[in-house]
Amino acid sequence: MIVSFIPILVVDVVGSVAMVVIALLCLNKARRLRGMDPANAVFLYLLWISTGFTIFAVSRSFGHILRQFLILTSNAETWHTLAPYSGSVNTVSFMLVGLITLFFKQSWHINEKILSSRKRLEETHIKLVDLNQTLEQKVVARTEMLTSSEHKARRIFEQSLDTIVVTDEGFRVSEINQAGVALTGYKKGEMLEKKMGLKDFMAKASEWERIRGLLEVDEYILNEETDFALPNFSQVRVLITGGVDYGAFGCGKTFHFIIKNINDKKQMEQQIAQADKLAALGELSAGVAHEINNPLGIILGYTQLMLKEASGFEEDLKTIEKHVQNCRTVVSDLLSFSRKGSPEKRRLDVARVIDNVIKFLSNHTDFRKVEIGRGPLPMLPLMVYGNEQELAQVIINLIINACHAVGKNGRIEIETGETKDRQVLITVKDNGTGIRKRHFSRLFDPFFTTKPVGQGTGLGLSVGYGIIRRHGGDITARNREKKGAAFTISLPSAPAEETR
Amino acid sequence: MVLSWLFFLPPDVFATQLHAASEGIITHQVGHLFFLFSMVALIFTITGKALDTQKGWRLIQYSAIFFILWNLDAIAAHFFDNQIQVVKIENISLGQIRVVARNGSPVLAWIYYGLKLDHLLCVPALLFFYRGLSCLVSAQQQVTVKKETP
Repeated sequence: MIVSFIPILVVDVVGSVAMVVIALLCLNKARRLRGMDPANAVFLYLLWISTGFTIFAVSRSFGHILRQFLILTSNAETWHTLAPYSGSVNTVSFMLVGLITLFFKQSWHINEKILSSRKRLEETHIKLVDLNQTLEQKVVARTEMLTSSEHKARRIFEQSLDTIVVTDEGFRVSEINQAGVALTGYKKGEMLEKKMGLKDFMAKASEWERIRGLLEVDEYILNEETDFALPNFSQVRVLITGGVDYGAFGCGKTFHFIIKNINDKKQMEQQIAQADKLAALGELSAGVAHEINNPLGIILGYTQLMLKEASGFEEDLKTIEKHVQNCRTVVSDLLSFSRKGSPEKRRLDVARVIDNVIKFLSNHTDFRKVEIGRGPLPMLPLMVYGNEQELAQVIINLIINACHAVGKNGRIEIETGETKDRQVLITVKDNGTGIRKRHFSRLFDPFFTTKPVGQGTGLGLSVGYGIIRRHGGDITARNREKKGAAFTISLPSAPAEETR
Repeated sequence: MVLSWLFFLPPDVFATQLHAASEGIITHQVGHLFFLFSMVALIFTITGKALDTQKGWRLIQYSAIFFILWNLDAIAAHFFDNQIQVVKIENISLGQIRVVARNGSPVLAWIYYGLKLDHLLCVPALLFFYRGLSCLVSAQQQVTVKKETP
């Protein structure tokens, strides 16, 4: 059968060239694919198989083209010589492709393992990132809580009205709040610089030893009362609570104390106790005075009757009469101290009452060498509701006492004023010897006197106290900062309607 | 003496086997069969891994089918002309050939003529492979873009 050779020739030559070109394009694509994901074993497999196809295409195409060339150029014998070599290379090349192809399954498994490992790695990475973020959020939240807590603690420390002190192991101050600075009277810097300790604030060394002993034994103290000595030589009563803190994170042992100023509370308690005591004494005095007053009246009456007739005992009877009169004066004072109500009260200008008293006393010989001064006068008259004679008696008593305290060439000053809660104050100050601390609690007791026997009955202040209390007021005594004592009468201001 | 005798005057031991001339064509045919088998295996593996749902791998499967056909074509052609030698080609002129079937059958001659056009099978096979790789590259590019897009 004779047929055209052209179709075979064209298909063979063009196909061979096309094979090489397409195989090279495949190789290029496979390389790109591998470049996109170098860890992908399947892509590596495709690169290998593309390489195999390229070798196969090149070897086969080269053989085919060479064969056609040699046959067409009448060199068939040469081709017969080369044909076995070309065929062998061709056989090896497509066997290589077949061999590589058979590895696809293995490549796939390897790739699956790689992908699985990568996925687990990514999941683990995501978990780690999540954990890290959670950790960061927790750290932020904890830091905020810590900052808030620290801020609260700092505010409590700074704003506390009670003293808060932190000391080291040797009770030296390391931290103290503003209330502590105000209480002790020392500046914070001064305390730290001088390494001041709690014992430096104590009025008595023995008190500190006692408190330190408690701290060493129990490691805490609860509501221990003691006195602090202030730099101005005054004392303040305080209540101390404290304990040990062994610290954390390597901090040293410290002591924390809360110190409460109970000076005002103590004074008020003393005043209440004093008032209660004086009220009880008043009741007692009233009963005693009433019981004694009647027999005294009878004794005096009979004595005066007997004096009207000559009996030869006139001198003795006059002595009895004199002493009975003295007794009646005392009883009268006692009744004044304990009397429940005043006979008559009216609106009084305090300044006028004081002026009358000063005018009256200036004629007395005891006051000629004593300077009696008036403090600054208020713009408006200070009006109170009371009995003029009784109030004058109280002021006279205070001035007489002051006169005795200052001695010769002393100075007495009388000040008046009004508080915001409408209390009219009358203060009698002197520059005398002052009042001894131990006498404060007994100042207003009936018959209490520091004067020599026979020079005073001890009823002046107690009668004055009784009068002021009946007027709804109060009377207090204190020592002045520099020298002398000061007695302050406080009375309710007369209502505005009544002053018009 | 014995050693020198063994060294200088060795007898024939026939340690190396002699190969017949037909061994070449049989090896070539086995190679084609091996290639064919590997392509069949590739088709089944792709199906077994459910990769044929992706266009790229499906095209590679088509490529394997064409390579199988090409191998069958080559095996048949080699069988006819090299192994049983029932057909041969004689060059008559530059543009004409004579296909000679031993039994004078024109059908066999035409079949052999058709088998000689094997590039019509292997070139599409490689083209499908190229197209398959192109699709896999595109798919991989999309995956990369997706990963990079937050």
